[in-house]
Amino acid sequence: MLSCDKSLLDQDNPNTLTESQFWATESDAQRGVNAIYHMFYQPGTWSRWIYFRLDLTSDEGFSKSPWIELADWTRFQYVNYNFLEGNVITYKDTYKAIFRCNQVLTHVPTIAFADENKKAQLLAEAKFLRGFYYYYAALLWENFPIVTTLQSPTDMPEASTLADVWALVETDLSEAAQALPLQWNGNDIGRPTKGAALALLGKTYMQQHKWNEAKSALDYFITGEGTPYYDLVAYQDNFRAENENNKESVFEIQFSDANKTAEGDIPSSTMSTNRAQFFAPRSIGWSDGQARYWLVTEFKKEKTVDGEIDPRLRYSLFYPGLEADFGDKVYGRSWQWDADEAWFRKYARDYKQNHDDYFNEVNNRVIRFADVLLLYAEVLNELNQTASAYPYVDRVRARVNLAPLATAHPTIGNDKDRFRERLKMERALELCGESVRWADLKRWGDLETQAGINRVAERDPDFNNFVLDKHIRLPLPEVEVANNPNLTTNNPHY
Amino acid sequence: MNKIIIVFIVCMHVFALHAQITGTVWDKDGPLKGVAVAVKGSSTATQSDQDGHFRIAADPAAVPVLVFSHIGYLTQSVTVSGTQPLQVILQVANTDLDEVVVVGYGTQRKQDLTGAVSVVKVADVQKRQATTVAESLQGLATGIRVRGGGRPGSEAQIQIRGLKNFSGTPPLYVVDGLITTANRDFNPSDIESIQILKDASAAAIYGSRAANGVIIITTKRGQQGPAQIEVSAKSTLQTTPRYNLAKTEEFARLNYMAYDNANVPRQDLDMTVDTDWQDAAFRTGKVQEYSASFSGGGEGGNYFISGGYFDNKGAVISTDFNRFNFRVNTVSKKGIFTIGENLAISNAKADEMSGNPYIDVLRLLPTIPVYNPDNPGGYGYGDERRARTFGSNPVAIADLDDRTNANLRIRGNLFSELQLLPSLKYRFNLGYETSRDHHTYLRKAGSWTLNQPLDPSQYHENRAESSTVLVENTLSFEKEFNAHRLNVLAGQSYQRDRYAQMWGTKRNMLENPNGGYYTVLDQGNEPQTGGFANRTDIISYFGRFEYNYADKYLVNGIIRTDGASRFGNNYKFGTFPSISGAWRISQEDFFQASWINDLKVRANYGTLGSSNIGPYDYIPVVNTFPTIAMGPGQVILPGATQVKLANHDLRWETLIQQNYGFDAAFLNNRINVSAEYFISKTKDVLLQYPLLLSTGNDGGNPFTNGATLSNRGMELSVTYQENTKPFQYSVTANIKKLRNRVVDLGYGQNRTFSGNTVTEKGQPIGMWYVLETDGIFQNIEEINSYQNAEGRVIQPNAQPGDIRFKDHNGDGTITNADKTIVGDAWADYEMGLNMNASYKQFSFSMDWFGSFGATVFNGPRSVMDMFSDNTNYRADIQPWTPENPNTDVPRAYYASTINARGDTDRWLEDGSFVRLKYIGVSYRLPSSLLDKIYFSEAQVTLSGQNLLTFTKYTGLDPEFNNSNIFQKGHDFGVFPNLRTVSLGVQFRF
Repeated sequence: MLSCDKSLLDQDNPNTLTESQFWATESDAQRGVNAIYHMFYQPGTWSRWIYFRLDLTSDEGFSKSPWIELADWTRFQYVNYNFLEGNVITYKDTYKAIFRCNQVLTHVPTIAFADENKKAQLLAEAKFLRGFYYYYAALLWENFPIVTTLQSPTDMPEASTLADVWALVETDLSEAAQALPLQWNGNDIGRPTKGAALALLGKTYMQQHKWNEAKSALDYFITGEGTPYYDLVAYQDNFRAENENNKESVFEIQFSDANKTAEGDIPSSTMSTNRAQFFAPRSIGWSDGQARYWLVTEFKKEKTVDGEIDPRLRYSLFYPGLEADFGDKVYGRSWQWDADEAWFRKYARDYKQNHDDYFNEVNNRVIRFADVLLLYAEVLNELNQTASAYPYVDRVRARVNLAPLATAHPTIGNDKDRFRERLKMERALELCGESVRWADLKRWGDLETQAGINRVAERDPDFNNFVLDKHIRLPLPEVEVANNPNLTTNNPHY
Repeated sequence: MNKIIIVFIVCMHVFALHAQITGTVWDKDGPLKGVAVAVKGSSTATQSDQDGHFRIAADPAAVPVLVFSHIGYLTQSVTVSGTQPLQVILQVANTDLDEVVVVGYGTQRKQDLTGAVSVVKVADVQKRQATTVAESLQGLATGIRVRGGGRPGSEAQIQIRGLKNFSGTPPLYVVDGLITTANRDFNPSDIESIQILKDASAAAIYGSRAANGVIIITTKRGQQGPAQIEVSAKSTLQTTPRYNLAKTEEFARLNYMAYDNANVPRQDLDMTVDTDWQDAAFRTGKVQEYSASFSGGGEGGNYFISGGYFDNKGAVISTDFNRFNFRVNTVSKKGIFTIGENLAISNAKADEMSGNPYIDVLRLLPTIPVYNPDNPGGYGYGDERRARTFGSNPVAIADLDDRTNANLRIRGNLFSELQLLPSLKYRFNLGYETSRDHHTYLRKAGSWTLNQPLDPSQYHENRAESSTVLVENTLSFEKEFNAHRLNVLAGQSYQRDRYAQMWGTKRNMLENPNGGYYTVLDQGNEPQTGGFANRTDIISYFGRFEYNYADKYLVNGIIRTDGASRFGNNYKFGTFPSISGAWRISQEDFFQASWINDLKVRANYGTLGSSNIGPYDYIPVVNTFPTIAMGPGQVILPGATQVKLANHDLRWETLIQQNYGFDAAFLNNRINVSAEYFISKTKDVLLQYPLLLSTGNDGGNPFTNGATLSNRGMELSVTYQENTKPFQYSVTANIKKLRNRVVDLGYGQNRTFSGNTVTEKGQPIGMWYVLETDGIFQNIEEINSYQNAEGRVIQPNAQPGDIRFKDHNGDGTITNADKTIVGDAWADYEMGLNMNASYKQFSFSMDWFGSFGATVFNGPRSVMDMFSDNTNYRADIQPWTPENPNTDVPRAYYASTINARGDTDRWLEDGSFVRLKYIGVSYRLPSSLLDKIYFSEAQVTLSGQNLLTFTKYTGLDPEFNNSNIFQKGHDFGVFPNLRTVSLGVQFRF
């Protein structure tokens, strides 16, 4: 009888590297870091669903989707906590990104580099990105279990509090800021800079009302070494595929339409965003999300110094008067929707074509300099330096030819509360549809009293469903609570 | 059916008594040699000689009983009461018990079986209209659960004795000794025999891959004698069951009601259109099947050549399947040397279905036209103002989204045998199978649903190649001495499977001015390509020991050791032993019940393995696909990272099974009874148990040896047959009862959720876990008085006509915590009833199948009845209104899930059913007529399948199939079993 060589049973995978072959060279480290950025292209994060959480859940947007459950998750009607598109996919993709960061932070320190500075930069990128994902996790779920080590299939993290998560974000971003360059060159442009880390760190402090720490971080842009690198550009250049990574950009997600394929970690997977396809008006896109009309009303309340309509309205929203006011159609169509409806125009490609699709290449300016200026003004105001806060707001207003704040709104004066109230609207008009509103509402405490909720509900009746101390955060996915004995309860009231 | 032909004794001459009994044994054609003749109650035995004569010592004064036995003939006892010499006529007796059964690397007489083996009558399989073998097996053997596909070219799902693991793995198929799959490429007309090895002792010889049972198929061989030609043709019509849906007028009334109730302005429905989407999407399917075979043989060998053609135009538009088959089986013998081969070549092509028309026809409104020249592509679909639905136009999808799958398969084996000694045989078997697969996908420009992105045309093509090489060496020893019969087998096997695929995609395909596109990858732009390869190796050593003492005591032991490349270094090998025994009580001297022809009790215990995981699952790999665009030029930079976690220590899944059974034949074999009781436990079940999301794992959950499952069940099969009269008939009833239970789940978890089901330790897999409804609120008082113990109004926002839910946790509000277990999708028992009858030239047969006690989820009804999103509605549905409160349908309410939640018991239904799976009548031309046309046999058969169904289930088909085992009972709009009527003719000459 013949006998078989048992070595036949040792079959290597002919398709790809094994984990044990990887994490050996500088190139491995670089590729490992790059793979973290790819998470921006996955639907739970910045290619699709996170906008439903940040923009539509806030009072700027809402959903009339016929997909009832999808719409319910933008109006605080959370029934099934395992609903994929509303909750689980973003939760999962956040951990996927964190896993990639943790791989770099675990393996790269042991790799020998010719240039230690290069190594430090790669580690700093991973720290920035980990801090970035935890920042949004803190905004959405607050008590988001922290994972900083590589997980085996049986590992079960302990419960974490919001304070724990903020502490981690602060550490990661502070460390990242120390090693990230002031500017990148060539094909590295688009990676986080020192400014990106400090801006996000500033936001992190502000969410916790750590105003002094926030000011120190943001000083980088105002008085620090970052000053020469940032400026305001033509307003519309912040939302188009042209003039990306310009001087206003502090941190920008790089989208591309090079691969018109499916999402995920597959060959030639898409690097595009689907936001515009999901937010485009009915009959053009899925129209799963649209803007609240109060934004249009607010824009029209104040004219430019030349008596024109605020030009930001033109680039922010599709609304019934768009063609009459500015001569622009909606993806080539005249208004055919209801008279009180509006849609988000930022990042849409109507300026160059009559449809959108899943392969939109417009970079998302997650943090831009105008946002930083307004944040800085807010910090100064909270530190009782209201008078010194004015120039930063005025700089943002001046770009679109609006009169200085003190001229347009003379009643504010140095009243801290009135200044804050006006600043809220300044931020809405400058930044609506740019996914900052949910963090703003939380930071301002507008959702922490029933009276505050009622005021928000006047702009967005979905907030009539908002239950105090419950809907301020999302429920953790039910499966995660059920399967992790360390998580004894879900978030409060869920 | 079993034809027991009577044995009768003809007393010829009268002679004086003496101590030697003599006689002759015949069958209907003449003297029979080699018949075992034994004196009952003594060890005296002899055999008949060349001329059928025998001579045996016995004292006639004691009125001895002689037992005549011969393989293929009915064993008969003859009481010698004086007249000699005896002339005994044995006739071919195809009783179950005397059949020879293929059991893997050899055969056994069915009466010698110690394990649970079902033999399916090939004639029963072949009379059915089925694309695959599996599809035709339902109801023909106990313990086999088959759910058909229905779509042209689709595979049926088959499960032997319940669920052994979570992967729903099909059983192992062994075709002519080649381990393979009996997929759609196989021509059922070529089958000679099918046996199903159901328990551990029967299947253990296939060790590691046998845990889900083994289906052994042998194909036909030529018979000694002049050439025979067999030709058959079958033509079939197929129709799909349909929903009863509202027409435009009724639809509009209900749609307005749902909008009005929700205070939403009515949409501007186009009342001039009344489309029947079922007429648009469904049609009468047609199947044509032709086969011809040519066979014959002589002393030195035999041959069998067959060819077949099968074509199925589907019952859904733009679906089609066709197949060509060719087979050559030959054997030649010279002295101690035998060599043979089986070779089958098939070419199959399917035009696959896109989308799900069984949901699309519900979601489209009757007010939408099939065609609309204003839409890109020219098809009608939803409209924001006039017909708000996101349903897909099935006619558009069928045209614009075109998929085909084709493959050429060559499957065969070459074997040689060397009879080294009369009792010792060496066999070498070399098997090879390859399939060349070709898949195309053309996405034409155009839309089929509202708000669809405008994608350009796209063409995708992949070509793949799979191959299996099997090398086996076996040595078998067979010896009889006195009443002992010993059969020993030892063998070794090596199998290598490879698969490789490459693919390419282009967009913006070149349009052909004559219509359509140039579908070659030279055309178009934005190219993408890819490919991958897999290989697995299995090395095995096995042995079997069979011992039979006087046909009374049977012992069977099997051991198999398998090594698989799929497992980690320390876990590659697994050893799977089994032992079984049987006692044929009826052979005992003390057994005097003459009305019992045969009685055997059996018991066995064995282990089997399973390795149903990917080829490299134990190795964590780095995913090199994430690319990023960076910099002003958006240059594409490579990324690489681990995406999916892996468990290094994956090992064999092990099934431990006990089986107890008996077989009995009574009243001249008129009644046959076979019963089995079995307990099985699967340990280290390989499953992709869901990891915590916090692990960051993606790309599917990694396999782990996670759970323990148990199955307990019984099977009983009773046959009554009457073959002695011109009107012959037989009736077989079988019943199966099976209960699965989860003993342990992965990673120490207690329960896991999937869809609307929960799987808990100690309970069956996939129990329904939903909110319980409790009728409809009729008025405000009922709503206000519906309070919990603390007096909190439970559904304060409800209105009359809304559903009342049970507040199981008593917290005064309806949340997910109120979900409760409401039954499961597993049948309490399943029954089959097969009836056959013949009279002169006519024969008739009928197969019924029944399944009782399953609770199933009617997905299509949860779409039609929801009213929250626009769909078409069930005709005659009566939503609650103040004027019409006596209904179980809550008030229609648009754009709110208030009465439309999918996770409630409202959609659960009793899935019990009884179905006439098959009914057929055949007419065989009389030989007087046949002689004139030189045919030796000619037969016409008219048959139908699934013609009658009795059920309370309101969906299209209670016999649906969901491949997700946790959601087995969820009918998501599954392609139903079709009703068919076939006419077939068969000739032999």
